[in-house]
Amino acid sequence: MSEASEDYQPTVSRRRRWSSVWIIPAVAFLLAGWLVWTHYANKGPLAHVTFETAESIKAGETEVRCRSVRVGVVESVALAENLGSVHVELRIDPDSEDLLREDTRFWVVRPRVSSSAVSGLGTILSGSYIELEPGNAKATATRYTGLEEPPVTASSIPGLRLTLVAEEAGSLSVGAPIYYRGFEVGKVERRTLDTEARRIRFEVFVQEEYGALVRTGTRFWNTSGVDVSAGADGFKLRTPSFQSMVSGGASFSVPRGLAAGDPVDDGAVFTLYDDESAARDSGFEPDRRILLFFDQSVRGLNRGAPVEYRGIPLGRVVEVSFTHSPPGDSRVPVLIELDTRTLRHATEEETDGAVLLADAVRRGLRARLGTASLLTGALFVDLDFMPDTLPAELGRSGEFDVIPTQSSGLAQMEAKINAILAKLEGLPLDETLTKFGNAAEETTTTIVDARETLASIEDTLAEARKLLGSDATQSVTAELNDTLAELRSSIESLGPGGAVQGDLRRTLDELRSALRAFGSLSETIEEKPNSLIFGRESSGDPTPRARR
Amino acid sequence: MNRGTRAIDLGLASCHTCGRVSPAAAGHCPRCHSAIHLRKPASLSRTWAFLLAATALYLPAMTLPIMDVQGLGGTGPSTILSGVITFWEMKSYPVAIIIFLASVVIPIAKVGALVWLCLAASGRAAGAPKHHAKLYHLTELVGRWSMVDVFVVAILATLVQLGALMTITPGPAALSFAGVVVLTMFSAMSFDPRLLWDREFGGSRAA
Repeated sequence: MSEASEDYQPTVSRRRRWSSVWIIPAVAFLLAGWLVWTHYANKGPLAHVTFETAESIKAGETEVRCRSVRVGVVESVALAENLGSVHVELRIDPDSEDLLREDTRFWVVRPRVSSSAVSGLGTILSGSYIELEPGNAKATATRYTGLEEPPVTASSIPGLRLTLVAEEAGSLSVGAPIYYRGFEVGKVERRTLDTEARRIRFEVFVQEEYGALVRTGTRFWNTSGVDVSAGADGFKLRTPSFQSMVSGGASFSVPRGLAAGDPVDDGAVFTLYDDESAARDSGFEPDRRILLFFDQSVRGLNRGAPVEYRGIPLGRVVEVSFTHSPPGDSRVPVLIELDTRTLRHATEEETDGAVLLADAVRRGLRARLGTASLLTGALFVDLDFMPDTLPAELGRSGEFDVIPTQSSGLAQMEAKINAILAKLEGLPLDETLTKFGNAAEETTTTIVDARETLASIEDTLAEARKLLGSDATQSVTAELNDTLAELRSSIESLGPGGAVQGDLRRTLDELRSALRAFGSLSETIEEKPNSLIFGRESSGDPTPRARR
Repeated sequence: MNRGTRAIDLGLASCHTCGRVSPAAAGHCPRCHSAIHLRKPASLSRTWAFLLAATALYLPAMTLPIMDVQGLGGTGPSTILSGVITFWEMKSYPVAIIIFLASVVIPIAKVGALVWLCLAASGRAAGAPKHHAKLYHLTELVGRWSMVDVFVVAILATLVQLGALMTITPGPAALSFAGVVVLTMFSAMSFDPRLLWDREFGGSRAA
């Protein structure tokens, strides 16, 4: 079993104080500490962003991305104290710390469908995320207000940023395109209502390569929706693009006749006109105001209605108001403004505007209302030389010159109609009507007579009926019946079942047989004339004779 | 009372590898030539060391995320405890109970048991050695089942790689937790249960 223990010498060694096994817990502690430390201590900066709603933002889950690269995560979502907004804390990765500048922008990318853009559909599958757009400022910040909508163009994209001011927003919405001669060169970024100036302001972005097209003389106009115009050649329907029908659009160019001017810088302000003709007319600068007095209805004459000289636009109507009329005058005052330069071009004289007008009035220049559109009933002021007009001078009322007026074609038509009505009045309608009345009376009497005749006929008929119902007629009818019965029986006796016919038949039969017999007798006599004497031979064997 | 003769009194030791009983003074087993000792050398200190290491690694295993779920309805990184809570809220009570037992109860119980046993071997704990021996046996048996949680994470991370639909990646806690289980197993292995009886049968050599 056991060998001798004295064969073996025990080895004696000093026991080490610390066995090497204690390295393991030491390493384990270091490792654990390092793991925990790297996890908690190396977190990046915290950014506080305020949003209106925390829809689709989840703490610990929603990522923060910059150009699709993850740069952080949402750490917490909490309601603000005033319950009007949401505070979202973002933990940005430590190596993306320098993206947090003062003008860095945040917005939530979630599915958005609007008239101008459809975006963020991929987030239906992958979950929404917060997009970070780093700014260019030098200073850093940690508190931000998030955007509710993604910016139309990133602020980093170079281009020209302008402001358009309009009276009405029209259908120009954010994201609507800006056209130059039908080519899209930019977008509407923002629109705000300026409550002080009571105007709509549009912030517009024009791409860098087309920025040089915008000059100081450029005019912008609204080309939203559909442009329908009715002219002498029928209806015209125009739209720059489908998108402009839906989300609106604006166009710009330098109108003919205006100087282009110098290129503009960021922040320039332009007026947005309602349409292209308004933009063209904006080059129109009136220099004279004239008052006109009309003795007729001016319904249909709107503010801004054109004033034309033989079809050439000369000015426009400023105001139709009784404030300009002298007391006691019942005529309608219309204030217009003219651009006498056009007139001057027409006459090729460098005379003063007032002298020119006075001269023209003396030669027969008058103002008249004409129908601009039969469809709408709109009127315009037509200045023209009237050949057969009473001589007049350029008048003055208050601070304005007065051009004499003449009633328009519409008024003349009215006069004619009045004349026709007067003529109608002169017709002998009364006599004709009396004659009709008499004829009607006679007809009435005839009708009365006819009615009486009918009544008498009715009486006659009643008597006839009575007659038919009386006893005499009854007895007559009874006798008639008896006579008819006798007739019937007589006819019956003559008929097939009657005796007479039977007798007749018998008689006929006897006659027939008699004739037959006579016939055979005559045959016999024919063949054998001596049979009368010798009688017929009756042989036992009758021999058939051949017919001759 | 006759307590019987212990091998250590006769200077005999059994080989750890082949089990042959031979005089300890030889230093090496005559049969398999592996080193023989009367008791496992530095048993208590090694047990303590591994226990401390396991405890140190247990903290990151619990606090750091053990797996990261990304994709549709993805819930991001989750720790062991948050996973238990999620399963419980999803009404998967058996799964939640199993994971809780395997990942939280058993490692802590094992560490606690080994600490108790070490104290018992040093004579600072009350109770009969028979009970201590049973506890040691139980600890050895059950300890390895804590690896269940690590296997769950490994299988999920391998199979659920469905791209944008759902992707599971293991987190740093998985390695830490595996380290905890392995270290507690080493700790149990280093403990020499014969030390529990040494006190009772007359103090001979301590570890």
